[in-house]
Amino acid sequence: MDYDPIRLEVFKNLLSGIAEEMGVTLCRTAFSPNIKERRDFSCALFDAQGRMLAQAAHIPVHLGAMPMSVRYALEHVEMAPGDAVLINDPYGGGTHLPDITLVTPVFLDDPRRPAFFTANRAHHADVGGMVPGSMPLSTEVFQEGIRIPPVKIMVDGKVQPDLLQLILANVRTPREREGDLTAQIAANRTGERRLREVVAKYGLPEVVRYSEALLRYSERMTRLVIAELPDGDYTFEDYMDDDGIDAAPVPLRVTVRIRGDEVEVDFSGSAPQVRGSVNANFAITMSAVYYCIRTLAREQFPFNYGCMVPVRIVAPERSVVNCAFPSAVAGGNVETSQRIVDVVLGALAQAVPGRVAAASSGTMNNVTVGGLDPRSGEPYTYYETIAGGLGGRPGLRGLSATHAHMTNTLNTPIEALEHAYPLRVTRYAIRRRSGGRGQFPGGDGVIRELEFLGEAQVTVLSERRKFPPYGLQGGEPGKVGVNLLVRDHRRRKLPSKFNLRVQAGDRLVVATPGGGGYGPPRRK
Amino acid sequence: MAVKIGIDTGGTFTDCILMRDGRLAVHKVLSTPDNPARAVLEGLRALCPELMGVQLVHGSTVATNALLERKGARTALITTKGFEDVLEIGRQTRPHLYDPFVTKPPPLVPARWRFGVRERLAASGEVLQPLTPAEVEAVLARVRRSGAESLAICLLHAYANPVHEQQLAQAAAQLGIPVSASHQVLPEFREYERCSTTVVNAYLRPVMQRYLETLVRELAGTHLSIMRSNGGIMSAQRAQQEAVHTILSGPAGGVVGAFRVAQDAGYRRAITFDMGGTSTDVSLCDEQPRTTSETVIAGCPVKVPVIDIHTVGAGGGSLAYLDRGGALRVGPQSAGADPGPVCYGKGQALTVTDANLYLGRLHPDWFLGGAMRLDVERTRAAVRDFARRLRRPPEEACEGILEVANANMEGAIRVISVERGYDPREFVLVSFGGAGSMHAADLARRLAIPEVLVPANPGILSAFGMLISDYVQEFAQTVLVPAEAFTPERAAQAFAALEERGRQAMQEEGVPAEAIRIHRFLDMCYVGQSYELTVPYTPRFVEAFHRQHEWRYGYEDSRRPTLVVNVRVRVEGPSGTAYHPPRQPEVPGDGRAAQVDTVAMYVGGRWQEARVYDRQRLQPGDRLRGPALIVEYSATTVVPPDFVARVDGQQNLVLRRGET
Repeated sequence: MDYDPIRLEVFKNLLSGIAEEMGVTLCRTAFSPNIKERRDFSCALFDAQGRMLAQAAHIPVHLGAMPMSVRYALEHVEMAPGDAVLINDPYGGGTHLPDITLVTPVFLDDPRRPAFFTANRAHHADVGGMVPGSMPLSTEVFQEGIRIPPVKIMVDGKVQPDLLQLILANVRTPREREGDLTAQIAANRTGERRLREVVAKYGLPEVVRYSEALLRYSERMTRLVIAELPDGDYTFEDYMDDDGIDAAPVPLRVTVRIRGDEVEVDFSGSAPQVRGSVNANFAITMSAVYYCIRTLAREQFPFNYGCMVPVRIVAPERSVVNCAFPSAVAGGNVETSQRIVDVVLGALAQAVPGRVAAASSGTMNNVTVGGLDPRSGEPYTYYETIAGGLGGRPGLRGLSATHAHMTNTLNTPIEALEHAYPLRVTRYAIRRRSGGRGQFPGGDGVIRELEFLGEAQVTVLSERRKFPPYGLQGGEPGKVGVNLLVRDHRRRKLPSKFNLRVQAGDRLVVATPGGGGYGPPRRK
Repeated sequence: MAVKIGIDTGGTFTDCILMRDGRLAVHKVLSTPDNPARAVLEGLRALCPELMGVQLVHGSTVATNALLERKGARTALITTKGFEDVLEIGRQTRPHLYDPFVTKPPPLVPARWRFGVRERLAASGEVLQPLTPAEVEAVLARVRRSGAESLAICLLHAYANPVHEQQLAQAAAQLGIPVSASHQVLPEFREYERCSTTVVNAYLRPVMQRYLETLVRELAGTHLSIMRSNGGIMSAQRAQQEAVHTILSGPAGGVVGAFRVAQDAGYRRAITFDMGGTSTDVSLCDEQPRTTSETVIAGCPVKVPVIDIHTVGAGGGSLAYLDRGGALRVGPQSAGADPGPVCYGKGQALTVTDANLYLGRLHPDWFLGGAMRLDVERTRAAVRDFARRLRRPPEEACEGILEVANANMEGAIRVISVERGYDPREFVLVSFGGAGSMHAADLARRLAIPEVLVPANPGILSAFGMLISDYVQEFAQTVLVPAEAFTPERAAQAFAALEERGRQAMQEEGVPAEAIRIHRFLDMCYVGQSYELTVPYTPRFVEAFHRQHEWRYGYEDSRRPTLVVNVRVRVEGPSGTAYHPPRQPEVPGDGRAAQVDTVAMYVGGRWQEARVYDRQRLQPGDRLRGPALIVEYSATTVVPPDFVARVDGQQNLVLRRGET
């Protein structure tokens, strides 16, 4: 044993604790409900080589994406003490434009080489582009908002005002963005301060030694998880409804190859990148794959670089799971990520049928409403995701009205939303009998009805309106979701993804998919 | 002179503490979980045979247990039509991100007993769709058919205008079951949390009613009060209506008691540290205990103010093990009382308590006053075996177990202090609970806390807290008004209504009008934020908000518009005679007369001789240098070599670091 099991445990808690504390700072200091209430952010620590040591992720979609941003920043920017690098470019370590990452080097013994990095990523409510909320039905990344390659937002401990002004000039709610960026800076400072305390107490060589031990610990734990899966090749395929521009289904295909304590996840055979905004870049695909592996672990251990070592991901270039510049990506993060999980878990279910649930709703049902508030004449943007049903599980029915897999964001209270926006919720209910039948039925989806009190622009990015969430082991699929517009008592069916001008008195009805069932249902 | 008694129902013991003529007497009886009233009555009669005219304050776990075990009343819920499922949908999240087998506790009211009525209010309180008498009759008929024993009503925007809820509540009186309406239980916006709080109240009311009716009948002629989760007390009568306010009754008593001891010893800021067998509770008091409105119990959000207590799964019984990746883990699994730690004679797996015993931080002959002898040989064998697997000497293995447990508890204290803007170095650590004082000094060192206070009678602090609590109630009302529109006239109007309720409540408790104290607060946020901060109401409340935002979050923006979300009053009234602890003069001494033994204690990398003192025989003014052990019936205090323990004039132990 090259390390002390006691000290290993102490460092494990220490480093995770620092990431958590960064998260507390970010959450408390941030301005927008997106960060504060919906917790759409994550914080992490990295070693000198840019390997992630510890992460506090409240949203799984950030799991693999953070390391990409940090690596990219390291490769492209030479950092000095007092610097901080900002980045959101999906083609430079980012995921989609609203996710902005801040990387801060921590210099200890050597003023030329950082000993650690602190980083955090937060979903900003608007980064410009063609629609309020920056989640459009776009066809190229330029329509989605401002692209920030790795740039020094801080030099010598000071925010660069020119750069900040340039960014703020390109977003719809600059004051809020400034507030959130300030919070991101504060979070990294918390991380740096705590790291310095730890190094002062234990000495740098010891901290480096146990950082290394921690990476190997998580790698060992991950290998143990994989080793429990029977060797073999497992293939699964599923479809996305469409890309929002063309009507054609978008197939996703994966082959999971388990060999001993290592696994290869190969997406060959998945669709080429598409015109619409559901392209996922490699960072998103990584996040989804790591999420799936993590759901198989029975013990808790920190997620860090070590967990990634035994997992190899093959994603063909210029495909919908590894798209190339300048394709549109706004929906890849929220929708395609869910389908990647569905196919990977579908493949793993063949390896370990007793450990994997049937498909969950498989969509975040993103609703964005923007317009002028007739009460004040001021512009507003309202963004919401709506939960669905979770898949039935061996021994347990699926949960109803709960967010699945890559997201876990809270709903906006009806009383808060009716106070803040010219909108009225006319129904919020569980969509009964929408879960797939089965020995262990899928959970039910949700029905949320929204009445518009004035003219507004509505964008919906949703999925599973054509292809239902699959059942497993003989369980039936969940019901597909439905989007409707009600105008003058007439109901009109809307597609999975649309952008629509609505009038006062119109109602939008979103009925979300139920989860798939597990095991054959009893005959009636 | 009036007699007052505090009674706390705990998991194992029911503690009673009596105050007569400013002096205290204590009695403990075994709890009777099947019918907690039995132990309460037994303890009371043993302590005070003549109960006529006595004032009793009781901390009850009846509500908490009913909620945890889902054994409350059959409850019906009336909501606005179309929103019957809000209670079940909650905030649409799952409790664990990566566990595919995660479950959520089912809602307290199943779908078949949730009934919608056609009515609708706007956020402004304006009636969009009136509630018709026919609709009221129809829904009440359904409630009657459901066989419900209790009814909750929560309509959208009822905080802004209670008219429809009042209509329903009045008509529902004919059902002859308790009715809880959301505008009374919690007139604050955010429908799910308000609904959940109202439902919890309805669910618990019949349970509390049955329990308290028994007690009141048996205790005729006494004045019975119940501990509230906010650290105050209320009459038994009120507790039957406001059952939701008793959910953290016992733990609140502990914090109030611990903080009162600290105040009497001259401290104004304290961190309370209660380490038991399976978990550790910590709480922060800055002039007074901090409260929070964000509690979730048994999966149900309860948005009434409760004392802010943070719990971690590390206690004396926490199990130590080597995980598959080769790290030493401690807890959260616990050996509990059965089988218990190895040294109790049955357990097979090593616990924190065993590590303490091995290292000489626990005396085998003085556990529970010697009533139970700890098995040292058994523990040694288990430690040797564990150390072999760890490939470390046994001493290091045991120190490692304590190190990991302490790191866990240090994290808990950081959460309630550093993460909330407080510097723990400015606080005294008040340690109680069975296992706390073995760890308190080490924990203080880790957090650079200069002093540790171990109260006299640490085993009955909750009951003591009940004894000395005042009547405290809070009333709040959501207003959602921009700060610039919140004029003094508007404020006066909003506060007047709440203060009227507060005064009335205090008078019902028998508090004379001139003794009632009223504090005004506002819950505020920046426009667009979804979290509020509570600030005292003064003419300069906006500035106060900016300042507090800066202090709590390190950031403020005085150009940004602010919103008054809730107005809030806290009313307080004294309960009976105040307690002034007797103070004895401190006569400098070395405690020799109290020394009962020596033990070998492993500390600072070697075995050292440590004196063992019997706490009961120590005198005010005695100063003991570490390493030492101070034993008493329910706890053991470890004094490490870098600490000095002093007995103060009220028989508290004060451990201070860095003195010689």
